[in-house]
Amino acid sequence: MAAAIPKKIMETTNKAMGISPEDAKITKSYIFVAFMALLIGGFLGLIQGLNRAGLLELPSWLNYYQVLTAHGLLLILVLTAFFTIGYFYASLSHTLGGLLPKVRRIAWVGFWLKMVGFVLAVIPILMNEASVMYTFYPPMAAHPVFYLGLVFIVLGVWACCIGSFIQVANWRKNNKGQHVPILAYFATGVFVLLFFALIPVAIEVLVMILPWTLGWVETINVMVARTLFWAFGHTLVNIWYLTAVSAWYVVVPKIIGGRRWSDLLTRVVIIALVVMNITGGFHHQIIDPGINELVKFMHVFMSLAIGFPSLMTAFALFAVFERTARRKGGKGLIGWWRKMPWGDVRFLAPFIAMVAFIPAGAGGIAQSTNQLDQVVHNTMWIVGHFHLTLGMTVVMTFFGISYWLVPYISKRVLTPQINKLGVIQTWIWTVGMIFMAGAMHWVGLLGSPRRTSYTTYGDHATALGWDPYLMCLAVGGTLLIIGVILQVYAVINMMFFAPKGETEFPIAEEEDNATKTPYWTERWGIWVVVMLIVVAMAYVIPLTEFIVNAPPGSPPYKTW
Amino acid sequence: MNQSFYGFLLFIFLVVPPVANFMESVMVIHMHMQMPMLVIAGFLMARFFKNRFPGFFEKWNSNGVPGILLFVIIMVYWMLPRTMDEALTTQSVEVYKFISLPFLAGVSLRDSWKKLSSFGKNSIIISFTIMFLGLGWLYIWSPVQLCNNYLVIQQVTLGWAFLTTAIGLVVYLGYNFFIDPSAYE
Repeated sequence: MAAAIPKKIMETTNKAMGISPEDAKITKSYIFVAFMALLIGGFLGLIQGLNRAGLLELPSWLNYYQVLTAHGLLLILVLTAFFTIGYFYASLSHTLGGLLPKVRRIAWVGFWLKMVGFVLAVIPILMNEASVMYTFYPPMAAHPVFYLGLVFIVLGVWACCIGSFIQVANWRKNNKGQHVPILAYFATGVFVLLFFALIPVAIEVLVMILPWTLGWVETINVMVARTLFWAFGHTLVNIWYLTAVSAWYVVVPKIIGGRRWSDLLTRVVIIALVVMNITGGFHHQIIDPGINELVKFMHVFMSLAIGFPSLMTAFALFAVFERTARRKGGKGLIGWWRKMPWGDVRFLAPFIAMVAFIPAGAGGIAQSTNQLDQVVHNTMWIVGHFHLTLGMTVVMTFFGISYWLVPYISKRVLTPQINKLGVIQTWIWTVGMIFMAGAMHWVGLLGSPRRTSYTTYGDHATALGWDPYLMCLAVGGTLLIIGVILQVYAVINMMFFAPKGETEFPIAEEEDNATKTPYWTERWGIWVVVMLIVVAMAYVIPLTEFIVNAPPGSPPYKTW
Repeated sequence: MNQSFYGFLLFIFLVVPPVANFMESVMVIHMHMQMPMLVIAGFLMARFFKNRFPGFFEKWNSNGVPGILLFVIIMVYWMLPRTMDEALTTQSVEVYKFISLPFLAGVSLRDSWKKLSSFGKNSIIISFTIMFLGLGWLYIWSPVQLCNNYLVIQQVTLGWAFLTTAIGLVVYLGYNFFIDPSAYE
């Protein structure tokens, strides 16, 4: 009986997306925009890389900082947000028996709000009126329209959050006492985080920056603005990460022919990441002035606490790999590795993504430490770090997802040719990123600054010493653009040209002897309250200090 | 037993002088972390006492009201600026803090909470919310330094901590009021 019910649910839900082309269309639109952003953002990245290596001088009408802003906005905001929302809306539709018509409408409203916001933000960038880079730190001030665009993007994402909450609440009403299916549970965690993370940045943009750029107030409290930005920024980083992790826990086991290892552990990891995340924002400001050492120490502790669920994840995933490989006859201490499906891009790309997270996470821990961060904070090291985390761990998982999600929503199949192309793309991307991010890390240790276009500082010997590494960076960047082109080609092919057919939405089942997950994991109300209390614990001390003992504030500056 | 042991470990950890000194050096950590953690330590240790003296709790706290009253009195006492100052300057008051918060407040909270009706529980949370709003107002807008041991900036910080905690409680109350878990579970 117990086994029969889930099976029936699985059958009906498996049909859900199939019978609802409307739901598929939502995800298709989101994914299409995401990969177009990758294409354009990728080329802008190449231009930057070549410029930094001294190989390309940008024309007077297109400056380095303009390119950097657009590259960051396209890849950090558009690619990730559109992919995450598209992927999770497909998951909600698939696992919860189709989207409600109301939710579908909300998803479209969110889509167009984001598109309008995006166009509004891009126009001033193209006009060189908003070359403030993607962190838009005051006192650098862009044209007000740029910030207005950001407000629309925030509203669009909020709409999608609310849509997902309605969908999940409705499912729970109709399925009393049951656990929300695991992918929908991941989606809930991600949208809860997005919803709350956007509050500080909305306050920053609406209450502080917009009145200031419009000239209604003369000065801005820079430290408060930065703090609000990173309360959002760091959470955004972990939203991408949680999205990638969802595929590692749920999809990858199915693709390698295994089972999910522990449902309780998975859900605890999600809760831990949601509760502890926003407070991690402070480690981005670890060498900012005006925060006393005690508070910085507390935040290092809070940041490192986020590392703990990641270690749990690593443990769980390697447990799945080993069990599955041994079941297939893998032997020996490491001999079972050979039983993994290395030729399947849907496994290979997320696997390399996971491996990349080992050095990426370790680098992150180094940077959360005050003294170590002082060495690297304003250098290319940091750029290398987030190309390793976002550019490899997150994006390669997204690529891996695309090889089944795109055929699934398009009612097409992944052909062996595209699979082979995907494997080649994965290796090109891996080598390119090792070159580029590796060079960035190393040249950062040697002191090469970030956020600057190419200069030799009057042929200073130290700066000239960076050149070989910067050349490596350009080589890596060139390989990556080949990777981008192959990936976008694969996505377009799978979306519009691949042979018609049915593709499975891969969701691994639990182990046969799995223990029952306790019901407290479903009590999101309590976790949200705990999260708010943790946020208050982290932010009340420094924010009060910044506001009560505020400096005179800064007028807007246009530095470019 | 296990739980009581962890509670005891937490209590010992909080009593260790370097930890206690550190937590007491910041006003908001003193009131909003050390004190609640002492209550939590007592809350965890309560199981030991309940197993050891079942008759005592049954006799004196059958409906939970005396216990929660004791909890409220202890909590209110420690929210006064004056008592925090005293804990820092007078050794015996410091000792009293480390005894009263876990053993009088924590233990009685554990024993009473489940015995209370939902009306009782909500009244307690609502009165604490109101109290926190009032104390937040007091600490933020007080024109004078309330504690000899802490600077005005620390006092303002504590005020905001009270207000944000109160907001957290309001969110919880709203959630409790609007969402009926039985519709979902």
